[in-house]
Amino acid sequence: MVQNHHGTVGENKGKRPKFFINDHVDILIEILKRLDCRSLCVAASVCRLWCTIARNDSLWENLCFRHVSPPPSSVRSVVLALGGYKRLYMGCVRPVRSRLGRVRRASWARDEVQLSLSLFCVDYYERLGGGSNSNGRLVGESSPSSLMFLCKPMNV
Amino acid sequence: MKRDHQDICGADGGGYGNSSGSKGESSITSKGKLWEEDQDAGDMDELMAVLGYKVRSSDMADVAQKMEQLDMAMGTAQEDGISHLAYDTVHYNPSDLSSWVQSMLTELNNPVLPNSDSNSSKPQQHQQIVSSNQSQVYNDDSEYDLRAIPGIAAYPQPKRIKTSMETDSSSSTTEPSTQPVVLVDSQEAGVRLVHTLMACAEAVQQENLKLADALVKHIGLLAASQAGAMRKVATYFAEALARRIYGVYPQDSLHPSYTDMLQMHFYETCPYLKFAHFTSNQAILEAFATSNRVHVIDFGLKQGMQWPALMQELALRPGGPPVFRLTGIGPHQPDNTDALQQVGCKLAYLAETIGVKFEFRGFMVNSLADLEPKMLDIRPPEVETLAVNSIFELHRLLARAGGIEKVLSSIKTMKPKILTIVEEEANHNSPVFVDRFTEALHYYSSLFDSLEVSGVVPPSSQDLVMSESYLGRQICNVVACEGVERVERHETLAQWRSRMKTSGFSPAHLGSNAYKQASMLLALFAGGDGYRVEENDGCLTLGWHTRPLIATSAWQVAATE
Repeated sequence: MVQNHHGTVGENKGKRPKFFINDHVDILIEILKRLDCRSLCVAASVCRLWCTIARNDSLWENLCFRHVSPPPSSVRSVVLALGGYKRLYMGCVRPVRSRLGRVRRASWARDEVQLSLSLFCVDYYERLGGGSNSNGRLVGESSPSSLMFLCKPMNV
Repeated sequence: MKRDHQDICGADGGGYGNSSGSKGESSITSKGKLWEEDQDAGDMDELMAVLGYKVRSSDMADVAQKMEQLDMAMGTAQEDGISHLAYDTVHYNPSDLSSWVQSMLTELNNPVLPNSDSNSSKPQQHQQIVSSNQSQVYNDDSEYDLRAIPGIAAYPQPKRIKTSMETDSSSSTTEPSTQPVVLVDSQEAGVRLVHTLMACAEAVQQENLKLADALVKHIGLLAASQAGAMRKVATYFAEALARRIYGVYPQDSLHPSYTDMLQMHFYETCPYLKFAHFTSNQAILEAFATSNRVHVIDFGLKQGMQWPALMQELALRPGGPPVFRLTGIGPHQPDNTDALQQVGCKLAYLAETIGVKFEFRGFMVNSLADLEPKMLDIRPPEVETLAVNSIFELHRLLARAGGIEKVLSSIKTMKPKILTIVEEEANHNSPVFVDRFTEALHYYSSLFDSLEVSGVVPPSSQDLVMSESYLGRQICNVVACEGVERVERHETLAQWRSRMKTSGFSPAHLGSNAYKQASMLLALFAGGDGYRVEENDGCLTLGWHTRPLIATSAWQVAATE
C-alpha cells in the first residue's frame, strides 16, 4: 500500500520532494488496476480520489478479464448497456469464480466469463419487469433474481 | 388338507395392513409368495412346520416384512460387519421364526457385545468386523429413503425379486455406504409409507375404492412422521390419489400467469430449467454459426427466459450479430391480455440495449397441433436459418391421438436447421396405472430430494414452496387425470428417440461446449455435487445422483435419398 506522506511545502531540507501518489493519478490507476477485488474495495475507502478511481468501471473490466485474453471490443458496449463491469463482476464473475474454484480447470477461465455474461444478461432481463404481470411475479412480491442461487451460501 | 396356492396378499388373515386385500391380485410377488397360506391350518403353518419353523399363520405377513427388512439391512451393511450376528449373538429357539427375526432386527439396531456363539440358520456374510462403526442411531433417515429410490429406479438390483412395490428400495442405498444402516422407527415408517402408497395405487387400479380410501388416510398419518422431501412427496401423491378416488378431477385450471409464476420460482431455485435453456441455446448457436438472418420458433414462450442468453451470445459473436426473429407460441389467456406481446416487448428492449436487430411475433393456440406452418411466415432456408425449440411441451401432445404426428410433420415442412427438445426423462405414460404411479413416485422423489438440498435457505421460503407446488401440479396430473386431461405424459429419451427417428429426423449431437457449459452451470448450484450431467449418445441428461431427470436432444430433418 502506498502511503501518503504530505510533505509541507515550506520545508526545504534539500532532499528530493516526497512522492505523493495522489499527484500521479495515472500511476495510481495502473496500480489499482492490478488489485484483487477485496483490496480494491479497501482502496475505495482511503480518500475521495481513490474512491472515485476505484469505482471507475474500467478497473472492474480488468478484474473481469484478468485471466483471460482480451475480449473483442464489442463486449464492452454490451456490458456497459447491461449495467457495467462492476455489477458484472460483483454479481456474476466473482461468485462464479469462487464457486468453480473447487472444481476449476485452467481451460475454464474464458468459459467462466462467458457464463457470467449470460447470467448477467438474464438478470438484466428479469430486472426489466414492467407491466402488471409480465415479469411473472405477483404484484407486491420482492423483485426477482435469477442470480439468487449465486448469492446463497454454499455448503461446501 | 387343501392347500391354497395363493399369494400372501390374496388371503385374508389378520395383520395384512401392508398389502392390498383384494383377491386375484397377482402382481405382488414378494417373498411371501414362497410361503403358501393355508387357511384351514390351526395355529402354526403346516408347510413351515415341515421345514422346521413354527410360524403362526396370522403372523406370516409380519414375519415376511421383517425378513425383508432384515435382508435389506444385511445387504447394505456388508462393509460394516454384521458378522457379530453370526458369531456373537445368541439366538434362542430359532424355530420360532417370528421372534427370531425380531431379535435379529433388534440386534442390528443395538448390536450386543460378543457373548456366545449363535445358532442362526440365515446365511451370513463373512466380513471384517469394523470396530469403529457401532450402533449409531440414524436420525437423518429421510435422505436415505430417497437416495435409495432413485438408485433402485436406475439400477434395479437383480438379486431382489422384482416387485411392483419396490419396497426394498426404501431403506437401503445402492451406493456403497460407509455408515451403518440402522433401522429406526421413522425409517420403518418410511418403508410403511411407500408400502401404503403402492398398496393404495394397487387398490385404485383394482377399483377397490373403499380400501383405497382407507389407505389414503393412512398415508396422511404416515407422511406426518417423515421429514423433509419424503413427507412432501407423499403428501402430494396422497392428494393426487384422493382426487382420483373421489373423482375430483380435473384440477381447477389456473390462470396461465399463475402457472408461469410457479415456473419462475422453479427456474430460480434449481438448475433444471437453466440447464434446458443453456444446452438448447448452445445447439441453436452452433446451428446459427454462419447465418446472417436467424429465426427461432419457441413452442412455449412463457416468460421468455431462454432468449436473453441466446441474444447475448449472438451479440458477441465474432462478425457481429445476425438479424434475430423470434416467434413465440403460448396458450390463450382467459382475460384476453396479450401476455406474449408483453414478453416480446421486454425482449425487444433488451435486444435494442445490446445491439441486436430483433423482430417478434406471438401466436396463441390451445394446442401445438393447431399450428399451421403457413401462419408462421417461414422464409426459405437460403434466406433465413430456422431453429425450432420445445422445452417440456411435446409430451402434452400425446394426450390426443395424432397430435404429435401432426406437429412433427409440420416441423418437417418448415425445414428447420435444428430442432431442440427438452423432455422429462421418465415414463409417466404407461397405460397401466400402477406402473405409472411407481415411476412417478421414484421420479418426483428424486426431484424433491434435489430441491431440498439446493433450495433457498431457509427451506420454508416462498421460492421452495412455489417450486414444489409447480411439481405438485404435475404429480396431480399424472396420477389423478385420465384421457385428454392427462397432459403430463412424460416419456423417456429412448422412447422419444425412436419416435423422432420414425418420423424422419436424425439426431444432431450436442457438442462438448454444451457439456462444458452445463457442467459449469451445475457446479454453481448449492448441492452441485448431487447433480450429474451425463452425455447419452449425443444427448445431455441432467440428473440427481444416479437418476437422470431431464434430457436435452437436438434433431435435424433426415436427408431423404
